[in-house]
Amino acid sequence: MTPTTTIRPRGGESEAHPRPSGWAAARRKFGPLLPMAPGMLFLFVMSIYPTFYSLFISLFRWNLADPSRARFGGLHNYVLLLTDVTFWNAVLVTFIFVGAAVSMELVLGLGIALLFFHRFPGDRFLRAVLILPMVVAPVVVGLLSRYMLNVQFGVVNFLTENLGLGRIDFLGDPAWALGTLIVIDIWQWTPFMFLIMLAALQGVPEDIIEAAKVDGARSGRIFFDHILPLIRYPVAVAVALRMIDAFRVYDIIYMTTRGGPIDVTQTLSWQIYDAGFKSLDIGYAAAYSWLMLIIVVVAVTLTLKFLLPDGDAK
Amino acid sequence: MSTISVTFAGPSPRRMRAKVTTAVRALAALIVSLIFFAPIYWMIMTAFKTGNEAFTAAPSLFAWPSIENFRLVFTQSNFGLALSTSLLVTTTSTILCLILGASIAYPLARVKMRGQKHVAFWILSLRIIPPIATIIPLFLMLRTFGLTGSIWSLVVVYTYMNLPLTVWLLRGFFADLPKEIEEASLVDGASRFRTFVSITLPLTAPGFIATGLLCFIFAWNEFLFANILTGAATHTAPVGLTEYVTPVSVEWNKIMAAGTLVVLPVWIGALSVQRYLVRGLTMGAVK
Repeated sequence: MTPTTTIRPRGGESEAHPRPSGWAAARRKFGPLLPMAPGMLFLFVMSIYPTFYSLFISLFRWNLADPSRARFGGLHNYVLLLTDVTFWNAVLVTFIFVGAAVSMELVLGLGIALLFFHRFPGDRFLRAVLILPMVVAPVVVGLLSRYMLNVQFGVVNFLTENLGLGRIDFLGDPAWALGTLIVIDIWQWTPFMFLIMLAALQGVPEDIIEAAKVDGARSGRIFFDHILPLIRYPVAVAVALRMIDAFRVYDIIYMTTRGGPIDVTQTLSWQIYDAGFKSLDIGYAAAYSWLMLIIVVVAVTLTLKFLLPDGDAK
Repeated sequence: MSTISVTFAGPSPRRMRAKVTTAVRALAALIVSLIFFAPIYWMIMTAFKTGNEAFTAAPSLFAWPSIENFRLVFTQSNFGLALSTSLLVTTTSTILCLILGASIAYPLARVKMRGQKHVAFWILSLRIIPPIATIIPLFLMLRTFGLTGSIWSLVVVYTYMNLPLTVWLLRGFFADLPKEIEEASLVDGASRFRTFVSITLPLTAPGFIATGLLCFIFAWNEFLFANILTGAATHTAPVGLTEYVTPVSVEWNKIMAAGTLVVLPVWIGALSVQRYLVRGLTMGAVK
């Protein structure tokens, strides 16, 4: 995996020049790559080691509360998980969360980007305002949601009551909790999609945009037939990155629902946290981590395949 | 087409229509921005309210600016300490990240080698691993080194967390710099290192600043690792915030004041690198 192994001297070169001493040749070849060593080593240690160590742990029945009783269990933890209905519930909850949030963010982000595509007075200022939610610490977002959505004194319930909708326990009602978390994610991350879509649209050749503008009646079709294919790559990148992040959702759940009510917001990452740091059942949590990693990789890869069917990445 | 428009005496209907659509678009953009801004407005307003005002059933839209809550945040709790811990951890990891990142990214961008793409993509692929999936082995590993509970565990983790982003962004900034500029210096007999320090670094400084600010933002906002790896004395600001929420009392006006303090530096940072934000958020994939 180290970069140096991938470099091979071209055949025949050594015959043209008398081979310099081994040390000098190595120095010339690898010297410029030497600065990479510390950083690569660091990345290697921090990624490969935990990954395989967790694979190792996952094969044990190992609870930190009782370390003396750690014993080899083979695939025990995996079997336990795959036959556990709460695991499949978490898979479902996570996919609903990621699917709904990311697709809505894409649609809204693209729509807002179209609004901002043509200049208007004050557009730069509004764009700066729209960036703000994205960089608010998720912990703060969670606390703010809890405050604003509170049943008794929350401002949102003040509004719903005056609109005749009554008071709604957005985070405590099983019918609302997951949807509320999705809306919170959409609020925070639509600006991300918006920024990338705006940049993508600005890269579309002027004449195609003009064509859509002149022929107002067909502009919708021009958008779908000609503009959308041109921004397919940025769309794929943005969706993939957003998915990776959405699968991680933890902070706002920690601050709001903590997996509840009942199990409607039990996501994969929340359950791993629960198993590893509350039950201290690290063998089980490690097996869970591996299943989650596989799920994320498969989901992101399939989505990329779907969005870029010709595989024209890069 | 231009000859036709000349024949109109007043503003052409098409121009009028264009003006109307611009106005409609601007209005829609304003409404959308207001919706997205509303919760932020509410946070800042609450930060200025008194305890009673924050709990009324009929909330008021405005509050008299009073820095009382901010004063209490600093005097009544350890939040000031948490902020300074955050600052220390975040700055240290950002600097480490830029040094390690540049030393990987520069050879990746400049030295011809086979498999260079594979190395770059391997680094990128690290980002797909959910942090929760690595936290148990990392926790055990850092515990073996006696680092849990100290700020150094967070410095290590944040440097690792931001390094792929840093490498990809800096690689892009280095690649954007024409090779010829450096070659002139190399021909003059300067070493690679000197060329890098005296030519490359100053010319890519905006890229370094933008990358550094993004690393800063991501580390500053991080909560999962901070929550698990720090002890009571080494809480970062996001963890410190959770301490205001106790079963007994939730002082929302103080929480919102503390939250505003957490968010403010990040906003300033993000707005000052606006130009590079898209590039940074997509790891250089979209410019």
